[in-house]
Amino acid sequence: MKKLFVLLFSSFILLGAMAQVDKGNLLIKNGTVITITKGNLEQTDVLIKDGKIAQIGKNITAPAGIKTVDASGHFVMPGIIDAHSHIALDGINEGTNPITPEVNESDVINPFQIGIYRALGGGITTVHAMHGSANAIGGQCETIKLRYGTFDPEVLKMDGAPRTIKFALGENPTRSHGEGSGIVPRTRMGVEFVIRQAFTEAKEYSEKWNQYNKAKLVKGFRGAPPTYSYRHEVLSDILNDKIIVHCHSYRADEIYMMLKVCKDFGIKRIVFQHVNEGFKVAPELAAQGAMASVFSDWWAYKFEVYYSTAYNAAILAKNGVVTSINSDDGEMMRHLYHEAGKTQKYGGLSDEEALALITINPAKQLGIENRVGSLEVGKEADIAIFKNHPLSIYGVPMFTIVDGIIRFDREKDPDDMRLMVDPKQAIETATFRDKLSDQDHCMEGAEFILDSELFNANKK
Amino acid sequence: MVERRFIQRITGGVLALLVCSFSLFAQDEKELKPVTRTYAITNVNVVPTPGKKIDMATILIKDGLITAVGKGIAIPADAIVIKADSMYVYAGFIDGLSRVGVTKPKEEISRERVKDPGNPAPERAGITPQNDVRGSLNASDKSIEDLRNIGFTVAQVVPYGNLLPGQGSIVLLSGKSADQMVLVSNSSLYSELSGANGVYPNTTMAVIAKWRELYRQASQAKSYQSLYASNRVGLERPGSDRVLEAFYPVIDQRIPVLFKSEKMLDAHRILTLKSDLGFSLVMADVKEGWPVLSKIKVSGAKVFLSLDLPEEAKKDDKKSGGKSDKKADSTKAKEVAKPKTAADLERDALEKRKSEAIANYTTQASVFNKAGVSFGFSSLSAKPKDIPANLRRMIAAGLSEDAALAALTTTPAQLLGLSDRMGTVENGKMANLVISDKSYFNEKAKVRYVFVDGVMYKLEVKEENLHAGQAGKADPNAKVEIEGSWSTVTQTPQGSNDGKVTFKKDGSGYKGTISGGRMPAPADLTSVTLEGNKLSYSYSLSFGGNSIKVDVEATVEGDSFKGNASIGLRGSFSIEGTKNPKN
Repeated sequence: MKKLFVLLFSSFILLGAMAQVDKGNLLIKNGTVITITKGNLEQTDVLIKDGKIAQIGKNITAPAGIKTVDASGHFVMPGIIDAHSHIALDGINEGTNPITPEVNESDVINPFQIGIYRALGGGITTVHAMHGSANAIGGQCETIKLRYGTFDPEVLKMDGAPRTIKFALGENPTRSHGEGSGIVPRTRMGVEFVIRQAFTEAKEYSEKWNQYNKAKLVKGFRGAPPTYSYRHEVLSDILNDKIIVHCHSYRADEIYMMLKVCKDFGIKRIVFQHVNEGFKVAPELAAQGAMASVFSDWWAYKFEVYYSTAYNAAILAKNGVVTSINSDDGEMMRHLYHEAGKTQKYGGLSDEEALALITINPAKQLGIENRVGSLEVGKEADIAIFKNHPLSIYGVPMFTIVDGIIRFDREKDPDDMRLMVDPKQAIETATFRDKLSDQDHCMEGAEFILDSELFNANKK
Repeated sequence: MVERRFIQRITGGVLALLVCSFSLFAQDEKELKPVTRTYAITNVNVVPTPGKKIDMATILIKDGLITAVGKGIAIPADAIVIKADSMYVYAGFIDGLSRVGVTKPKEEISRERVKDPGNPAPERAGITPQNDVRGSLNASDKSIEDLRNIGFTVAQVVPYGNLLPGQGSIVLLSGKSADQMVLVSNSSLYSELSGANGVYPNTTMAVIAKWRELYRQASQAKSYQSLYASNRVGLERPGSDRVLEAFYPVIDQRIPVLFKSEKMLDAHRILTLKSDLGFSLVMADVKEGWPVLSKIKVSGAKVFLSLDLPEEAKKDDKKSGGKSDKKADSTKAKEVAKPKTAADLERDALEKRKSEAIANYTTQASVFNKAGVSFGFSSLSAKPKDIPANLRRMIAAGLSEDAALAALTTTPAQLLGLSDRMGTVENGKMANLVISDKSYFNEKAKVRYVFVDGVMYKLEVKEENLHAGQAGKADPNAKVEIEGSWSTVTQTPQGSNDGKVTFKKDGSGYKGTISGGRMPAPADLTSVTLEGNKLSYSYSLSFGGNSIKVDVEATVEGDSFKGNASIGLRGSFSIEGTKNPKN
């Protein structure tokens, strides 16, 4: 008895000390397994142990006590990954300064947003929760797993995923700062300038620290250190290849500009986001190893997004650019499989190529392709089970599994999935609406609270 | 020896002169020194510490201190005797975080436009950790009396602001000047995770980033200063920086960071900051601490739970319609027979979840207590008149009376390092006492006397107040005066929204204007009506060319109103108003 108590007590302490991520055991029987990387396997089982794929094969017998999901006639695919989203966050844009790399979405994860559960309903398991595009160099982003149900923001984080940061070119930063505050950047030239200036300052900053650290090694050294700057620390990390750049961009000229900036400052890992004119510079992107995350067919919501085509994803992919299709939106997020399917009509991509756009390719863009994005033994058990093929218009996500735990089950989908209930909110206004998805609808419901038009203007 | 005595005599004379001149001043202010500072409280039920009780005892107070507690104590001739027959006396309550007596700065400063919003002056950004709350403490503020009247004698007070408003002090709820009130100055560095209006750091993530940067810069500056102090030769002079220097006692762990930690996610974020930077932490005004409990426990942070609770779910709401009780009764039988519609069922389910949610807040204190996390209370966001009822709700939800009393007395004394001076009714402690006519947690109990630092405050008990205390009842015959300026707070799903409404007599009715909130410019109210104590007014907001009508309906009670603001079909939000003092 005493032993048990000690055991309980110590596990209690552990719980508090670190984010405890629940991991499950599960056997998925008799599905058509779409591995993405190793073809399709008919009538195949997937065994999950401790949150990881332990075995893929035929006629696996369930170890004692393991739950079984019958996937007969269903399609079993890797959980969908959205490389551009703003869900699960308290705050998107620190729109006060064109350069804010020190701010970090990892500090403001909100595990209560109902949009997380809704995304699970669309087969999504991993999301790139991004800073907005008001600033040329915005904040750091967080790659999260949709472990909806936790009250601890730390648990949502995909521990060990590479650091990423949001950059933005074009109209959003020029409008926010040039037009909004009357400061640089007011033009595309200005955007390039503030980015180059920031990197140059960061180089000077790390040079000063290098000198200081070197001098300190000499015995008896006495002197003042350079003043610590969080902003320049993060900028230096970008220059030292410790952070993947995700750059909001539309026009070919600005994309090409940014490629040159990366070359000049030795930045190797960059993913362009939106990239509506990416098809014009696809070979250049491929040559530099830059990746692209695009919409299937969304454009014309502002001047710089008119020159667009639904063939964009296919052209980029066929040119050897690692391409993904993203949502940037709580609603579109729930049918990214349809968005991927559009590339078959516009560009004739194969099933495998089309599904790669929402699985292994976004995983590569987030630097997590060794852990998720395909169904392989040893990978994390993030899985979506579809009735009908996911690229068919009849495709319906039935189960969504994260780390071997069923987080969404269409048959058991209660009405009220809120984790936190506001004790002051009137019943009549318990609309279950997400803050973020509200703002797409002409600021509906929130208009008198939001003075920051900037925030809305810069969502996309 | 003779010489020394002579000097003593002279100093004595000078002192006497000084005292004389003081009393001359005192006469100018028409205030006399108390005749005696000795009190005897007789025949009283003493609760010296939570869980103990001495029946029908006597307490002696002399010169601000408790000098005797017990039975059979001789009453000195110069004592004022308080015949507290069958009353209860407790140690004066201690409030872990409050703004009692602190003057709110003018809002304009925080709304001024800045040329470069990315680089505002520290004051505009809300970074003023060097500010001392004593500079904005007003000893004659009515809030002090309000909090004292429910039994509080000591509070940790902090300045207004967002990110780093300044340094707190522990004050007595008594005294004629800020300095007289102060018991411990610079007791903590106060902080909130709230951003500056329109300038950097505006979002929570930027606030946290700025916090990290300031702390690291301060650590760096501090170690360079000590390097410089050890030998100045050949070293560049370190600059002076008030903001960074304010962190030094925190870095040395001489004072804690006192963080407002209302929301659950704030609590997580604050604990992350603490574990990254390593300061000692006091989490105050905690409202949603139950899911963070184990993290708090492991962190060793000190805790003050909020005395504010969400309103209890209205029990009558379940009957749809339910306008008149009689009608509801007569139709009850039919209703039972009638099957519930899908909408009814949905509503029931939503109501059930809401009342479960409210229960979480009410049981928080008991949950903390059972988990062995010691805690005090803070009044920051609670209205004093709600506090006794809220304590009773916590007790009804499982907190023992002893634990509640400990959280008001012994525990906060310990958490604030004041146990040698207060928290119990014992010989030698400061005479901070609260005396109620019944056990304090009894619904009908009324506080009759409060002693702060040996100064007696006698409370008038008005019977008619009992009725007025029942807030929110519409009464067409009530007479209320709304003319003047009111501050309003609207609770929206996106947070609370402050505004200002001004009413002016206009013939037999009223007209008015509204400003603040997020409105770009003041606007006229489109209608104002007052029937008895039922107030309603409307105004229009324009957004992106659209005009939105807002209707407010509220019940006025004295200098405050409570009600709802509805925005067309978009929903209705609770609104509260308080009348601003005339100036």
